[in-house]
Amino acid sequence: MKLNFLFPNKFKKIGWFTLIPSAIIGLVTLIYEYEPSFLDFNVPAIFVDEITLSESKRLFGMVNNNILNEILGVLIIISSLLVAFSKEKLEDEYISKIRLESLVWAVYVNYGVLLFSFLFIYNFSFLWVMIFNMFTVLLFFIIRFNWQISKLKKSAYYEE
Amino acid sequence: MKNSIKIERAKKNITQAELARLAKVSRQTINAMELGKYVPSTVLSLRLAKIFEVEISEIFTLEDSDWD
Repeated sequence: MKLNFLFPNKFKKIGWFTLIPSAIIGLVTLIYEYEPSFLDFNVPAIFVDEITLSESKRLFGMVNNNILNEILGVLIIISSLLVAFSKEKLEDEYISKIRLESLVWAVYVNYGVLLFSFLFIYNFSFLWVMIFNMFTVLLFFIIRFNWQISKLKKSAYYEE
Repeated sequence: MKNSIKIERAKKNITQAELARLAKVSRQTINAMELGKYVPSTVLSLRLAKIFEVEISEIFTLEDSDWD
């Protein structure tokens, strides 16, 4: 039972220090549609389907793209993985149980929200749902797991 | 499942924190087990038996509800 697919505890801190700023910057740049021109690059792509004068569909190709959202997206995904799946200081079997329960809970909540959005949000608004849904499973997990752990620590504060 | 961890701990006169250190788990886990909120794995049960120097069946007892 030693194999548990978790990162060492020290990665948790690194995760938080990256996640908070990149999530804030990501949200702000998304809302204000900030795309600085120095981050415009020609990047390799697959399944290219550009709406240009001569509409072109290609399997591979180069596309011009502002890479700010890619950078932030990668940072947010990696750092939330670190926050979610780094070991606690003392990762014992009870913590593992809470971890598993929180993960199941997070998947249910995530797809509950997605089902609701699927049925009641349409057109361009649904794009926002898809953008946020890329990150919400991990977000719900992080919130629920940390909440459970802090509840546990509080409940065990008084001995006897 | 019932357990007598708290009683065994009292006999040995050790705190939850000391037992946690000996069993290599967190104090919260010891607390949760004493409150019946968590059923330990076989490995942890065996560790506790070893620490208390008793048979495992002296610490843990099955209840009717465990057969449901």
